[in-house]
Amino acid sequence: MNYSDIANSFIMWLACGCGVALVLFQAAVMTIKSMKAGKKMGITDEQINAAISSSAAGSIGPSLAILAGMVALLVSMGGPISWFRLSYIGAVAYELMAAGFAAQAMNVTLGGQDMNATAFACGVWVMTLGSIGWVLFTALATPHMDKFRDVLAGGRKELVPVVAVGAMCGAFSYLTINSAMRFNSQTTAAVAGFLIMAAFTKYNMTANKKWIREWSFCISMFLGMLVSVIF
Amino acid sequence: MENKNSYYNDTYIPSIISFGRITNLLGVAFAFLPALVLCFVYNIYPPVSAVIAGVVMQVSVSGVFWFVEPISYFPVLGIAGTYMSFLSGNIGNLRLPASVAAQQAAGVEAGTEEGSIISTIGVAVSIIVNVLMLTVGVILGAQILGSIPPVIKGALNNILPALFGAMLAQQFVPNPKIGSVAVVLTSIMFFLMKNGYLSFLPGFPVYAVIIVAVFGTIFIGQKIVAADLAKKKEQ
Repeated sequence: MNYSDIANSFIMWLACGCGVALVLFQAAVMTIKSMKAGKKMGITDEQINAAISSSAAGSIGPSLAILAGMVALLVSMGGPISWFRLSYIGAVAYELMAAGFAAQAMNVTLGGQDMNATAFACGVWVMTLGSIGWVLFTALATPHMDKFRDVLAGGRKELVPVVAVGAMCGAFSYLTINSAMRFNSQTTAAVAGFLIMAAFTKYNMTANKKWIREWSFCISMFLGMLVSVIF
Repeated sequence: MENKNSYYNDTYIPSIISFGRITNLLGVAFAFLPALVLCFVYNIYPPVSAVIAGVVMQVSVSGVFWFVEPISYFPVLGIAGTYMSFLSGNIGNLRLPASVAAQQAAGVEAGTEEGSIISTIGVAVSIIVNVLMLTVGVILGAQILGSIPPVIKGALNNILPALFGAMLAQQFVPNPKIGSVAVVLTSIMFFLMKNGYLSFLPGFPVYAVIIVAVFGTIFIGQKIVAADLAKKKEQ
């Protein structure tokens, strides 16, 4: 049996489908619980709708980027595993790296002529074991992170949002500079995205327009990309 | 800390924690299903030595992130958002931006109780969009996806940098002091890394950049805001 027949077999779809179903199930239950709590806390339907549309619009761009990266994974690891790993625990860059390491350990070329069922299985094992820590750690440690955050805020409730602002500034400056450092069209995209959003944010600090709060993120992302392609 | 919302603290959070723990532990088990199918249905056992070699290479790159990413992103994602994000993956490039975009659009502050509720909704929506698009993608298959013209593929590669830049600006403009601290710290750390000054650290030291960028900014940011608050009080 060819390895790609095994990789794309019905039972692989089934095994992979369980994980995807779990992700969707968890998201659904968490959302219902959160909506219920939100109602009691005075969060309005309008706020929830704004959150939904902004997040949906904002998720399309990154998901397109994931699809573009999925091609290499599809060719080497087949449909079910690519679908599974990119909606469950994994991320494009990580999965390709893991599959590459496994192929290297098996002395074959990832997706090459010499790739066989054993190398494919090795790839699946490495992807799984190499990423299990994220889920295991969050399963056990998440409640303690809440306390850790309060410690970071020095026990002052009014400083907890400052922890979040610091974390966002730190995380996004890392992610931005990491891609801007390449000094190619990605740099242009990062700078353009920054400047367009800066203009929106600056304007909206006084104007406080609802549509800007909801759409500026999506617009800046695609305009930034367009600018980088044109220039 | 005062109890502003007793339902949030007494009912919501405990139920999120027990549900999140169970589903993420189940997630650990489900992750092995494809590998187990290969063993027990198809009788394919890769050599243990090769699996270990591959895992060691992979963990030396990503092992530190098992801990660094959840702790760094928690203040933004909140409790439910953290369980969901790390079960579904694609954190920095999708969950985190979706969470921030949702909180911004709803006009709630990240890190507050309202923020963590809205973050949950943002992450959930991003999960649905992502699974839908991946499902369409895998149905279209490698051939069709592979025939996307290179211009468009190049453009798609530039979505993420533009998104990250936009996200940074969204935080930077209202908080220029904290934003500047973040950019300066990150630049210094990348400079040190590129020039080999971090090579004494085990593995690939980009995790050190994240740790200093996030926690250095949180620490200095606290000092700045606390000083500003004290100044206001004096006046």
